[in-house]
Amino acid sequence: MPSTQTLPPRTAATSPAAAVRAEAATKVYGAGDTAVRALDDVTIGLPAGRFTAIMGPSGSGKSTLMHCMAGLDSLSGGRVMIGEIDLGKLSDKQLTRLRRDHIGFIFQAFNLVPTLTAAENIALPAKLAGRRPDRAWVDTVVRTVGLQDRLSHRPAELSGGQQQRVAVARALAGRPKVIFADEPTGNLDSRSGGEILAFMRRAVDEMGQTIVMVTHDPVAAGYADAAVFLADGRVVDVMDAPTSERVLDRMKRLDAPTPVVAPALAGAGNGRRS
Amino acid sequence: MLTTTFASLRGHKRRMLAMCSAVLLGVAFLSGTLVLGSTADSAFGNLYSEANAGTDAVVRSSTDIEADGVAQTGLLDASLLDRIGATDGVARVAPLVERAGQIVGADGDPLGGQGPPTLAGNWITDDQLNPYHLEPGGRAPESGNEVVIDERSAEDGDLHVGDHTVVRVPEPVDVEIVGIAAFGELDSMGGATYVAFTLDTAQRLLLPEPGKVTSFIVGAEDGVSQTALVDDLHPLLPDGTEAITGTALTAEQEEALQSDFLGFFKTFLLVFAGIALLVATFSIYNTFAIVVAQRTRESALLRALGASRRQVVGSVLAEGIVVGLLASALGMAAGLGIAKGLVALLGAMGMDMPRSSLVVEPSSIVVAIVVGLVVTVVASLVPAVKASRVRPLAALRDVAVDRSAASRWRALAGLVVTGGGAVLTVVGTVGAGSLPLTGLGALGMVFGMVLIGPVVARPIAGLLGAPLPRLRGISGGLARRNAMRNPRRTSSTAMALLIGVAVVGTFTVVASSLKAYVDDTIESSFAGDLVIVSDSFSGVSLSPELAGAVDELPEVESATALGGAPLQVDGKDFFATTADGPAMSKILDVGLTDGTFDDLGTGTVALSDTYAEDHGLAMGESVPVAYADGVHEDLRVVAIYDTNDLVDDFVIDKSTYAPHALQLDDYVVMIDLAPGVSMERGEQAVQAVADRYYAPDVQDKQEYVASVADQIDQMLAVIYALLVLAIIIALMGIANTLSLSMHERTRELGLLRAVGQSRRQLRSMVRGESFVVALFGTVGGLGLGGFLGWALTQAIGKAEDTSLPFALPVGQMAVVLVVGGLVGVIAAVRPARRAAKLDVLAAIATD
Repeated sequence: MPSTQTLPPRTAATSPAAAVRAEAATKVYGAGDTAVRALDDVTIGLPAGRFTAIMGPSGSGKSTLMHCMAGLDSLSGGRVMIGEIDLGKLSDKQLTRLRRDHIGFIFQAFNLVPTLTAAENIALPAKLAGRRPDRAWVDTVVRTVGLQDRLSHRPAELSGGQQQRVAVARALAGRPKVIFADEPTGNLDSRSGGEILAFMRRAVDEMGQTIVMVTHDPVAAGYADAAVFLADGRVVDVMDAPTSERVLDRMKRLDAPTPVVAPALAGAGNGRRS
Repeated sequence: MLTTTFASLRGHKRRMLAMCSAVLLGVAFLSGTLVLGSTADSAFGNLYSEANAGTDAVVRSSTDIEADGVAQTGLLDASLLDRIGATDGVARVAPLVERAGQIVGADGDPLGGQGPPTLAGNWITDDQLNPYHLEPGGRAPESGNEVVIDERSAEDGDLHVGDHTVVRVPEPVDVEIVGIAAFGELDSMGGATYVAFTLDTAQRLLLPEPGKVTSFIVGAEDGVSQTALVDDLHPLLPDGTEAITGTALTAEQEEALQSDFLGFFKTFLLVFAGIALLVATFSIYNTFAIVVAQRTRESALLRALGASRRQVVGSVLAEGIVVGLLASALGMAAGLGIAKGLVALLGAMGMDMPRSSLVVEPSSIVVAIVVGLVVTVVASLVPAVKASRVRPLAALRDVAVDRSAASRWRALAGLVVTGGGAVLTVVGTVGAGSLPLTGLGALGMVFGMVLIGPVVARPIAGLLGAPLPRLRGISGGLARRNAMRNPRRTSSTAMALLIGVAVVGTFTVVASSLKAYVDDTIESSFAGDLVIVSDSFSGVSLSPELAGAVDELPEVESATALGGAPLQVDGKDFFATTADGPAMSKILDVGLTDGTFDDLGTGTVALSDTYAEDHGLAMGESVPVAYADGVHEDLRVVAIYDTNDLVDDFVIDKSTYAPHALQLDDYVVMIDLAPGVSMERGEQAVQAVADRYYAPDVQDKQEYVASVADQIDQMLAVIYALLVLAIIIALMGIANTLSLSMHERTRELGLLRAVGQSRRQLRSMVRGESFVVALFGTVGGLGLGGFLGWALTQAIGKAEDTSLPFALPVGQMAVVLVVGGLVGVIAAVRPARRAAKLDVLAAIATD
């Protein structure tokens, strides 16, 4: 299995520039004997205008990588670039501003401020910046996620799926350089989850948005343009045009470094594996 | 369950600290006041038993008139001394002359008179009967105007053996200090100043007649009990005299001290301790409510694992007991510090404790700890029981609960109780006035507001916070929403501050009304240009020669003095006013219904119309009165005047009173300047005379009003000082609640930071929320305080049989409003900083 650390060069001519780049990123927790290398010398570029999934078993460092790329955590070594900006050189105030103006977030749960309505939650980053939101764009986004009738509701009055849609709308409303989604469908049933993923897909296709999603769900990965696989803090594989079956397969092999084939599948899947 | 309790406590040190601090402060204040009370008791209590240590019996006059806390007893013949001395069982006897006399210090300022009495008398030569002992380097007075003074006065007045100074009796008398005395181990008897002449001089200067004494103190022979001694003395006592045992005398004096001063003092302290505890209770309840809400998950987990409801409640209860015990013990220790502070405060105001070491009764410790424990347990019980009712699975599902508390029953109950309280308060102000009723109504209103608070908290917080979005953008808007999101918590947090502010407001309104009243009274009744007012309320007043001396000045048209005379009329003791009738009518603008003051001479009396009506008296009728020296006389009514507040109900001429006066003293000299004399020139001239008599400074009308207002403000300052502590407790309560609220909202704060809220914006959001909550409490408190202040003013007026105007001190209340807002901002400083320092990642981490 090739252990590439950059995107496959198959569409070199049309390969877009990286929206987010990690260069020799290293993150170590603790010290001495108890030191844990959550990220071990990771170099990767995530293309603009694309939907990239970051996958791996628990402890692989996928969440750590995303947090560091989003400016929520700091690296022990190496650097992260968003566009031309080196995150390591920014002060807390500048980082905060970066998150406010150029990064969108969708978390697994607890995405919304309970005291604000859906409309106010969507406008939150703009309001924090003291900016007037772009009316027309926000309307477009709201229609895209289908929330026109729920704008004046508070989170407590919305279903889980609707809450996540508000989160998506908020992330899109600011037209950020990159949206980071951390297990966005983790708390949803498959139907709501599928809706969210479809919205994110549309945002990439129709609006040219860059989305980076951390997930362990192969179905979610199937919506992405590329899937990056992490294990033990390192990139072990990059899959282009992932499907849920291929991703599931790859994940199984991630868990077991020496190929261990389950007896039931051994005969069944042999010929069809690509 | 006990292990989980301790583990939980250890694991959440900050929570425990928060719970502890609320209880600690309340208990500290309670124990501080209890210790202060018992210290005062013991300090003052021993004074009299020490003073009367060698006295086995006292022979004194049986006539005594007591009015306004001052007792005047008749005099005895000095010749009685021999008969007493010759009686069986009597080992020692000494004559006692005991009056008021004020020592003037080396700098020319009179000493004392602001609390403890200023005593003057004769030096008792018998060592065993005299509680005072000479310091080495001095001797007893032997002739003329030689005196011994107490050690404290010597220190305060910078006086030494051999110095010459003046003693006011109340005329100024030149004296030479030949000795300095200590009272047992102390430098004075409870702060009272003491000057002792020879017996002859004392009789001459202090008593109106020669050959008299105030009493005799008697020591018994060995083996003779005090009661036996009194029995032995009984047969030889002439009419109008009595003998009591030394123990009985001590008991009498201690009882008088309790009822005149100590009792009131201790009640005063306890009321404030009560207020502080009430405020603390709210803080404790709040803290526990939040803590228990935070632990709903833990409790639910325990329940899911099989713990019974009783076990869960029991574990919270156990935590409450542990916290209660710990905090109460610490609070008890802190209370000692508070007691020391209060002793120092009182000392700074001239009310010294004879001893500075604190007396801690076991009962104080027990009471403080029990109260702290009970309050903590009760406060923790309610939220604990509520938490145990939550279904295990519901709690584990982590719902961001915004509980609204607007139930119809609550609103109704709240309105009824508040309304009922208000009605009761008003009822206490009509008719004859009833302070207890008004007080009860006030309490009812507080309860009503506690009930209705959560119902009105949301709309009012919304209103008060309306300017925030405009001032602070979205962070301000979030702050406003946060203050509104949990009305029950907002209300109970604000309640502590509300109570403190309400008490401040009440007293401020009462004080301002009193000042307006004084202003009106003086404005309407005082027709002169200048006054000299006696400023010592526990000692010697103005010299009776002062008015005459001022009158003789060319710059002065006329000067007249008003004095006080204790009388007994119809079995009732009271103070009548003595005046120079004809002179008085020239200066005093008092309306006359009948007769004229010019007719007021020897053997006559002028009455207020209320008094005349109440007692069915008319012009020309006779009023039988009794004086302190035992003489009875009939006085003829020659004038009836409009009831006013400058003179009492009963005015007699000085010549009527003089023969029976035990010690003359005037309390005010009123001066009318001659036409054409400027105020400045007049004041200068009169001041020169006043200085000769060591009298207080002469004042014009405005200065006089201001000085009375000053006194009211001084009393207010003491009240405010005590209330500051209650406000601090409220402030800490708000900070506590805020801290824990922020802790609860960790994820939400992390989210806000993640989407781009800066640290400064977050701090501003926390401050805004605290500000609104504090404002809620302050506005409510001012409203309640204003209303209660009005009611109290009316009730006091009715009780004193006058009517007090209602003066709303708008300026001061605005200051209180600003201070309230500041409390909110200050309380938020630390919670805001901590919230802003949150690690965003840790905050938003899903577990």
